Amino acid sequence: MPVSVLIVDDSPIARKMMRRSLPPDWDITIQEAVDGAQAIDIYRKGGVELMFLDLTMPNIDGYGVLEILQAEGLNCIVIVVSADVQPQARARVLAMGAIAFIPKPVNPEGLQEVLRQYGILV
Amino acid sequence: MNKGLSEDQTDALQELANIGMGQAGDSLARIWKEFVHLSIPKIAIVDASRLPALIHGFVGDTAVSASRQAFHGGFRGEVLVVVSAKDRNGLANLMGYEGQLDSVEREEVLLDIVNLLGGACVGGIAQQVNAEIGFSAPSLIGEDIDPLDVIHPDQLAIDKALSLEVCFQVENRSLTAHLVILLPNNEVGALAELLDQFLCTL
Amino acid sequence: MADQQNPQLSGFIVERMELGVFAVDSSFNIVLWNHFMHTHSGKSWESLKGTNLFASFPELPESWLKRKIEHVFALGNYAFTSWEQRAYLFRFKHNRPITGGVDAMLQNCTFLPLRDAKGKVELVVITLQDCTDNALIQQRLAEAITVSDEERRKQQELIVKLEDAKNQLYQSEKLASIGQLAAGVAHEINNPIGFVNSNLGTLERNVTDLMKLMAVFESKETELPKDTQRELSKIKKEIDFEYLKEDLAALISESKEGLSHVRRIVSDLKDFSRVDQSGWQIADLEKCIDTTLNVVSNEIRYKATVVKEYGHPPLVECVPGQINQVLMNLVVNASQAFPERGQITLRTGEEGMYVWIEVEDNGIGIPPENQQRIFEPFFTTKPVGTGTGLGLSVCYNIIRKHEGDLIVRSEVGKGTCFRILLPIFHGKMGESEEIEFANSAPQ
Repeated sequence: MPVSVLIVDDSPIARKMMRRSLPPDWDITIQEAVDGAQAIDIYRKGGVELMFLDLTMPNIDGYGVLEILQAEGLNCIVIVVSADVQPQARARVLAMGAIAFIPKPVNPEGLQEVLRQYGILV
Repeated sequence: MNKGLSEDQTDALQELANIGMGQAGDSLARIWKEFVHLSIPKIAIVDASRLPALIHGFVGDTAVSASRQAFHGGFRGEVLVVVSAKDRNGLANLMGYEGQLDSVEREEVLLDIVNLLGGACVGGIAQQVNAEIGFSAPSLIGEDIDPLDVIHPDQLAIDKALSLEVCFQVENRSLTAHLVILLPNNEVGALAELLDQFLCTL
Repeated sequence: MADQQNPQLSGFIVERMELGVFAVDSSFNIVLWNHFMHTHSGKSWESLKGTNLFASFPELPESWLKRKIEHVFALGNYAFTSWEQRAYLFRFKHNRPITGGVDAMLQNCTFLPLRDAKGKVELVVITLQDCTDNALIQQRLAEAITVSDEERRKQQELIVKLEDAKNQLYQSEKLASIGQLAAGVAHEINNPIGFVNSNLGTLERNVTDLMKLMAVFESKETELPKDTQRELSKIKKEIDFEYLKEDLAALISESKEGLSHVRRIVSDLKDFSRVDQSGWQIADLEKCIDTTLNVVSNEIRYKATVVKEYGHPPLVECVPGQINQVLMNLVVNASQAFPERGQITLRTGEEGMYVWIEVEDNGIGIPPENQQRIFEPFFTTKPVGTGTGLGLSVCYNIIRKHEGDLIVRSEVGKGTCFRILLPIFHGKMGESEEIEFANSAPQ
């Protein structure tokens, strides 16, 4: 079964950069959301297993998405991908249920390492 | 004809500025030990005559202090930093000044802040598109001036510019700085080329 | 990197160029200190090598400089200081031991990040440029600019004054030409008025004669045949003969009255402008006042009641046309001093060798600070162009040229009184030379 991945970022280039950093031979299906509100819609339809979430976005930002996910049982793995790499931002999202924080620009090796660490990628 | 940026190029520039500022914000937050909020960079191609209104739109009806710095190399332009006049003391504090500032110290703070934020943002973008960028010494535009007086279109050498604005807020300090990067219209092509090269690597 | 080009040359340049160069690591320990820094600070590389910058130079502004260097380490940016805001980083002696002018070397500094192979900033190199000479030139330039700005400001003021003067001249010329025109018109009107007047006199006599004849006719009417009587009475009724008899006399006497009014106005106009008799004359100042009042009566009729308190002083040797101008100015000024309607009092009198005229109003008065200034050229509290023309400064000059004096006394809320003093004799009789309308300040 392919893993269902949702990439949430308001920037098309950022979404493209994110896709390119994923392991090329990984068996996944990818959906994209352009803001937090759309991400929540897709999440609520069910089936999303892994979410790459940007923080600075219009219509519900990354923090807002995490808040809603937490309230609704956090039924997926969230990895925050953000240009805001301050330690406070990292601490904040980890406290809100994200399993990892990856700084932009995404480094493919670093990403794979995180995915392996959490047993998402074998 | 105005050769602006394509949608892809604009998006790439926005993302690169976002990343560049994010890294700068992190570095500054570590030194200042304060959380720094960054806005999503806003990009627009504007007529020179509209620049005063644009800056007024960023800051609103408040007296401001402003400074500028030029950069050159892979692409050329100028960075403006506009801070609300009442925010100056918080800013000076972050820059390592102690006690009450006299007027030349206040000027120096403004020069420091444009150097810091401009270097971080422009430098961050340049680094990601593999461009070599140099900076000239910053200079002062004015203290306690009307936001409409920051730029006088009749004194500009350009008729159009690319503006990239980032709002930079320091938590617990009620400090907001607006960073505006202005590229003359004829430099937009050079930047577009660099952005295309970057997009090709995706 | 420079050391890949020619390490020996680069090393020599860094060591010997006339630019301070030093470097610190992230703990602010000194790792480079060139010859310029050595000679100016008096501390050698050997003595400073590896020491903390702030321990070796406690006079440096530590908090600020640390933060500045930290920023360069963290962001990899260049940073700058300029002598204009921060005169110097290190207090070094300046390069003008003889010519002087400054108390220390003025410096521009640049902070440069030196990165290691991984791109991390390893050292911050600081260059220090002696800007004393440039700064002195710039200061001199700034002073020169201040001076020239000041001059430009003065010029601007002069331009405004010139504009005022032009307006005043324009006003006075306008007044003078109106006077000339009026006098010209008056002269031209005089002839027709003369024969209309004489004809009117003849007409009056002729009508009187005609009426005398008519009276005789009427007394003999009953002697005529009845038919003829009826016919005459019918015509008399038609033309309302009884009324016609009375009206004819009234028409003639009203016309004579109107004509004499016209003659007075013409004569006043001629008197006022004195085109036909300029120059020094023996004049009756009360007559001058009367003709002036007639000329400006329209201007003041609705603003003020005029009261005359004449003391019948002796005749005065003067240029009456110009005295009239002064009187007109004072009277019109007075009429503008009332918020609503007021009273203007004109007095005359004699005092020793002088005759005086007072023009007094019960208007708003002049504040003390302005009383000193009202005789200055260009001084006005009215918008440019709306003044009476010559202005008080010209009035003052006219009176001074008459070797007289013009004095003001005024109280805010009570009113203002101008007193003209004129000497009775000058010995200038017959000189026709006009007094210049000089716009110079009172001497």
